[in-house]
Amino acid sequence: MPCSRTYVADAYLDALTGQLAQHRDLTEVPETADLCKGLDDDLDVPVLSEVHRQLVGEGSHRRLVYSVKFGNCEDDAVKFLDGYAANLVIIEKLPSGVFADPFELQHFVERKVFLDVAVFGDTNLELPSALSNRSAVEIHFDFKPSTTMDCNLVVELPLHARYPPLDSSGYATVEFGSPDLLLHYRKKDTHPDSCIWVSKNLDAEPVDKAVWRVPCGNGAHAGFVSSLTFISALVCSMSVVLAASLIS
Amino acid sequence: MAVTTTTLRWRVMAASVALRVALVAYGEWQDAHLEVRYTDVDYLVFSDAAASVAAGGSPFARATYRYSPLLAFLLLPNSLLHPAWGKLIFSAADLLVGLFIDTILRLRGVPEKTRIWSVVAWLFNPFTFTIGTRGNCEPIVCAAVLWVLICLMKGRVLQAAFWYGLIVHFRIYPIIYAVPFVIVLGKNYAGPAGPAGRPILTQWSSKQQLQSDKTSENVEEPTSLLASLWIFLSSLVTRNTILFGLFSGSMFFAWTGVFFYLYGWDFLNEALLYHLTRTDPRHNFSIYFYHIYLHHQQGFSSIQKLASFLPQLIVQLALILRFSRDLPFCLFLQTVAFVAFNKVMTAQYFVWFFCLLPLILPWTRMKLRWKGLACMLVWMGSQLHWLMWAYLLEFKGRNVFVQLWVAGLVFLAANTFVMIMVIRHHNYSQLFLMSVKSGSKVAAKKE
Repeated sequence: MPCSRTYVADAYLDALTGQLAQHRDLTEVPETADLCKGLDDDLDVPVLSEVHRQLVGEGSHRRLVYSVKFGNCEDDAVKFLDGYAANLVIIEKLPSGVFADPFELQHFVERKVFLDVAVFGDTNLELPSALSNRSAVEIHFDFKPSTTMDCNLVVELPLHARYPPLDSSGYATVEFGSPDLLLHYRKKDTHPDSCIWVSKNLDAEPVDKAVWRVPCGNGAHAGFVSSLTFISALVCSMSVVLAASLIS
Repeated sequence: MAVTTTTLRWRVMAASVALRVALVAYGEWQDAHLEVRYTDVDYLVFSDAAASVAAGGSPFARATYRYSPLLAFLLLPNSLLHPAWGKLIFSAADLLVGLFIDTILRLRGVPEKTRIWSVVAWLFNPFTFTIGTRGNCEPIVCAAVLWVLICLMKGRVLQAAFWYGLIVHFRIYPIIYAVPFVIVLGKNYAGPAGPAGRPILTQWSSKQQLQSDKTSENVEEPTSLLASLWIFLSSLVTRNTILFGLFSGSMFFAWTGVFFYLYGWDFLNEALLYHLTRTDPRHNFSIYFYHIYLHHQQGFSSIQKLASFLPQLIVQLALILRFSRDLPFCLFLQTVAFVAFNKVMTAQYFVWFFCLLPLILPWTRMKLRWKGLACMLVWMGSQLHWLMWAYLLEFKGRNVFVQLWVAGLVFLAANTFVMIMVIRHHNYSQLFLMSVKSGSKVAAKKE
């Protein structure tokens, strides 16, 4: 995959938000199909055996925890990683009402929890759901020998809920779709500055549904809340005015 | 005795410096080792903006940077020297506020022991020493406001105007002090030496004279409301008020103009217009947050906008008309009211009035036991009550919007209670001595 497509999720943007991608400026590299020739021949790329995804935590700040298991990892994965460098790529298309903080995720990269991460689409951290668009997160996670000894990669993605549209039930339900999982790999002797990776879709089965209940305001409250708010403000301000006028 | 208070003074300063240095160091450790940061999120925003400027870009490339570019320039050493540079600058400003409080009270003849306690009320207030060490820039604003006050007290009108124009550009909220500044700069500002003379400050006295200063205000009995209004307005048109108004206004527009030239509409929208039009539906201490959230999808009518502005306007006007000549007291009350009646209220705004509180403490009849403590407990208790509901909403995901909104009303009531208590127990004392002709008393300076 050439540098101009370092982030796979660029391709999802039109479907999601119609906005321009926010990705780094990288120099275009000419198509190098020849370099990929023979890359897949007789190659036992690790196969996905299980994927679990769970929404963990309470309140407006939670984590999506991915647990990714590969089959025959003791033999195949070790053999594979002897000759290849590999990254697990997770693309989570976030539903409306949930956002990822790009600055928080960048901190994860600085602490080397993730190899790389990018957020596409609406990255506004403050707007309520009704005034914002959807976004997607792409995480690159190092497929290291030490982690594959347990055959189980665990990736945590911190997420935050936006203020949902009003609803009389008092709660809004946000449902996550299935993530896309890919494996990026290339020969270990490839020049580190080369941008060429092979991308293999891991064909993950649909994962368990992740559902987030977010408290929301009730439109029926609007009348009495607004009236009492204005009356309280007026009463308090007049109290201060009275106190100021009465002192001799 | 003098040696003891001087030693105490140095110990207070040394302890304050040590506390802040320790907290900055601790903050660096906590950020590196614990999941929850000590550093305020805003500090990271300032630092990123400064890094963007250092790389030749705009500070507004950083999302949620809503300050003057001056702040990003000030924090350039964050990426060139050390990331904690900004925190040290803010903490230094915090210490400077302590020094300015001492200066202001000394100029008014407050005895040293009383001054020390007033300064301690700022330097060891947990709200204030955490603000600068966590990387919040408010101490700079507080220091500038107090410096403007010192300049006015020393008769340096142009200098006051320079800093006032600059600080309004930097943070906007000090614009609420414009009218009381103009009022005190009016006819009776300068001393007997004439319009360019240094003003004479009313001195503190242990015998708190309540009536004296107020009765000296009106020399002639006005024949009508219109006549008294005319007398009042004509007293405002002086060399000093015109100089102050024109120069501070020019400073504000000059800084705004320069940065608009450099950064365009990004600057104007983020650093200026955002603050003037901000309506945040997310929960905060303001009583308006739930009303804003309930209407965020359909917008607000003009009547609703006016209704939310009216109580603020009424209370500001009343405080200015009643107390402007006791300038520190007026500024303090105005700031408390401005924060309490604002459409958005966050904890960092509290330092705006905490820096002015020590200036009025020597003139209050309220003793710590028990009225003072009652005010503190009511104010902090209602805040904790709000924080409890906010925690349930944000961190436990429970729908407690109504309870949280009611807690906001309770907090407004607490702020109102504190304001009324402070007003009722204050010994009104004009900052600038009226001319001899008006017959005001000058209280004898007592050690």
